Amino acid sequence: MAEVLFYLLAAGAVVFGVGVVAARMPIFSVLNLLGTFFCVAGVYLLTGFQFLAVTQLLVYAGAIMVLFLFVIMLLNLHDESLGGTLMSLTSLPPRTLALASATAGVFVLTLIFASGVGPPPGSAVLAAARIDEGLDQLVPLAEVLFTRYALPFEAASLLLLATMVGVIMLAKRDRPRAKGDTSASWPWTPAVDDGAEPVQQAETAPALEPGRSRKTHEGTAARPPADKPGERAGSVQ
Amino acid sequence: MNVPTEHLLVLSAFLFGLGILGFLLRRNVIIVLASIELMLNSANLVLLAGSRHWAGVEGTGFLEGPILVLFVILVAAAEAAIGLALIIALFRLKQSVILGSSQSYEVAADSTSPSVPPPSPTRP
Repeated sequence: MAEVLFYLLAAGAVVFGVGVVAARMPIFSVLNLLGTFFCVAGVYLLTGFQFLAVTQLLVYAGAIMVLFLFVIMLLNLHDESLGGTLMSLTSLPPRTLALASATAGVFVLTLIFASGVGPPPGSAVLAAARIDEGLDQLVPLAEVLFTRYALPFEAASLLLLATMVGVIMLAKRDRPRAKGDTSASWPWTPAVDDGAEPVQQAETAPALEPGRSRKTHEGTAARPPADKPGERAGSVQ
Repeated sequence: MNVPTEHLLVLSAFLFGLGILGFLLRRNVIIVLASIELMLNSANLVLLAGSRHWAGVEGTGFLEGPILVLFVILVAAAEAAIGLALIIALFRLKQSVILGSSQSYEVAADSTSPSVPPPSPTRP
């Protein structure tokens, strides 16, 4: 029963993976990626990693996927950006082709290696017992994580902090300030003059108006037609 | 469940191959990032397959696999956040998330000289 479920999930993961690569629009690609994550989480569960299955669902399907979808919705992609533009194999630079060949070689080697792994060493009874009670039980995991791997754990917290700061700096709009422009771009001040959904508008406005045509003296001529009238709301970011 | 380790490895190899294909062939940056996530997932699968493979040996640290997977998930989350922020910055600069198009090269060449990129040319 569990074996049948595993093969179903594996097939689903591969099919969804094909969907990730082959989808025309990024939104479908990301939704296929969500399906792959669910299937892989099911595989984790079947192989005895309950905690990691839940973590996979929480972090990947919850956080990362929301981030992807949020960015896709945030970017007001034009029609030509939505197309499934595919690089043709002949137009790839030779270095990329070499890399692809090397990767294909690694793939084949993996398959050959995988066919020769053989049965697991050690006692099958012990393995079955451990798998049944879960290979990643929280108490043993935490004991190892907070003793032997305490340093990587702390380094991971530093990495997350650096990521947080870096993402804010990357995504922040750095527009040149005009002389005497004392209006506060930060802290946040609410928009007043666009009617509906002011908070939502303020969140999405920087990407909705691609040109830096705001508040400086270029005027509004360079604005693309996709621009929303919520001009004022963008200035709060 | 009595699925042999080989089959887990084969599944992981397929996922990794698909990720590499998407990474190399697609031109949409968002899909490229999704392919990277796919490859990270397949790497996680290999780690867990190894951990399960060695679970029957007395005294082996089969917990290293799950711990490494935890760290990989953490780094993947950080990478996704950074990558998506980069995509937002790229889109703000070029109004496009397509890699390697002549349009994006042109705008990039335009904006190399000043440190702060000039207001982008009118683009429909």
